[in-house]
Amino acid sequence: MAFVSVSGLTKRFDKTDVVHDIAFELEKGNCISLLGPNGAGKTTTLRMLAGLMKPTSGSIVFEGHPAHSDIREVIGYLPQHPVFHYWMTGKEFLVYVGRLAHLSKKDASNRAEVLLEKVGIADAKNRRISKYSGGMKQRLGIAQAMIHQPKLLVLDEPVSALDPIGRREVLNLLEDIKKETTILFSTHILSDAEEVSDELLLMHNGEIVESGRLDDLQFTQDATKLKVSFSQNGDIYAEDIEALESVESVLKEGKHLTINTHNTDQARSEILQLAVERQWPITHFEVSRTSLEDLFMKVVKQ
Amino acid sequence: MQWWTIFQKELLENWRSLKWVWVPIVFILLAIMDPITSYYTPVLLEQFGDLPEGAEINIPTPTPEQAFMSSISQYNLMGLLLILIMTMGLISGERKSGVTELILVKPVRYTNYITAKWASTLLLVLTSSFLGLLASWYYINILFGDLPFSHAMTGFLFHSVWYVLVITISVFLNTLFRVPGLVGFLSVTSVIVLSSINGIFKSQFEWLPPQIHLYIQTFLNSGTLPTDMWITTVLTILLSAILLMLSVFIFKKKELAS
Repeated sequence: MAFVSVSGLTKRFDKTDVVHDIAFELEKGNCISLLGPNGAGKTTTLRMLAGLMKPTSGSIVFEGHPAHSDIREVIGYLPQHPVFHYWMTGKEFLVYVGRLAHLSKKDASNRAEVLLEKVGIADAKNRRISKYSGGMKQRLGIAQAMIHQPKLLVLDEPVSALDPIGRREVLNLLEDIKKETTILFSTHILSDAEEVSDELLLMHNGEIVESGRLDDLQFTQDATKLKVSFSQNGDIYAEDIEALESVESVLKEGKHLTINTHNTDQARSEILQLAVERQWPITHFEVSRTSLEDLFMKVVKQ
Repeated sequence: MQWWTIFQKELLENWRSLKWVWVPIVFILLAIMDPITSYYTPVLLEQFGDLPEGAEINIPTPTPEQAFMSSISQYNLMGLLLILIMTMGLISGERKSGVTELILVKPVRYTNYITAKWASTLLLVLTSSFLGLLASWYYINILFGDLPFSHAMTGFLFHSVWYVLVITISVFLNTLFRVPGLVGFLSVTSVIVLSSINGIFKSQFEWLPPQIHLYIQTFLNSGTLPTDMWITTVLTILLSAILLMLSVFIFKKKELAS
């Protein structure tokens, strides 16, 4: 039996299913990302897992945990927009939630120190949370979710609200944490999911449309786009590019051309060769990865 | 254990937000305001009233019992409003801000969460109320004459029963709604309605909670506790207990996130 098995999970608000009959299993020790556009039902799913919402129907079963016991004992949860008791210091808050999770005073304090160190805000532990920056709050949020050594760590959009530096820090932190515990986190950014997770769950309109290990999913292998920008209108170069064998189509948007290809390597070298030969005024050249939008178009169309 | 953790956190929060300073001060001011002004009004009128020659001022000096009752009346109006405004966000505010999403995903028993908040508010309000009536008793003894300490304290205890109900009503509404303003409005409304019902039907029902004040007055004047006072007290405590249990029940049923 899987570590966590979810089956037939449905949540209905005012006659519409925000989450509709989803089923998935989480393996112990994996880092799983729940990927989907805004409004796909990610937050609702995670809230049901964390015990904050009651499913309209369906079940969530934790291995070795009786059906009607308090699943909050084994789950650590970080909401999308965590709100703290801002009048507390970081350490006080961690000790408080640790005590709520039945740790002794001493254990809670020790655990808080360890986590503050781990998430890298030990310097600020005696500062009021109201003085923390966004990245620090997010890291404190991850620390509070881990205080009682949960078996499953549920993180709702842990990096979405952060600036690039904060995002990098939190992603590195996740890399580190996933050695210790099972993580399920939601995101709407494909590259974040690719970077840290072993498995993907793709959610769209309240349903899981695709799932599996990252390398097994077919969408990662084919179809990339090339994006080329010029210092002047790109239309005059479009024809030359379209004439190339490896190119399927070219989309013209003023100075920018988006080139669809079935053979990225070939298209790239051919275009760059042309650019050198004819001295094209290229300002930007990018092999763009499949965007989440493309991905969904693909999955949903199938 | 967990109850104690939440209770301590509430005490600390009330301390850091200086509630432990200003609430007692306000209650002391409320309690001594009436006795002191009624004592000094004739003096002030005489000195600064600019009255025509020969005008006689004849304001009867209240008895110590009347003066003490005037403190309790202030508690019933301003004190009550203060309590309801102070507690209107006790739980609803935490839910609205979203902090409960962090707290209640921990294995927190809802009974602990609600009763610890309830108890910490009671401690703050009743301590403040006690200090206020103590100050009132002190000034009354200086200004108006002897009021037995035991009488003042009995008055405080029975009045506290009424405050327990008021705070419980607020906690109850806090679990029903998530908008602090609405909770405040509805709790003020329910207390007004309760008092009005009492005003209209007091000859038929002698044991409605607001009736406690009348009995406190009777007690202060006669020195004996009427039987009806005990019945009213027991009923008020019972009503509070039921409301508190209902609050926990409702809170369990409620979705914590929306």
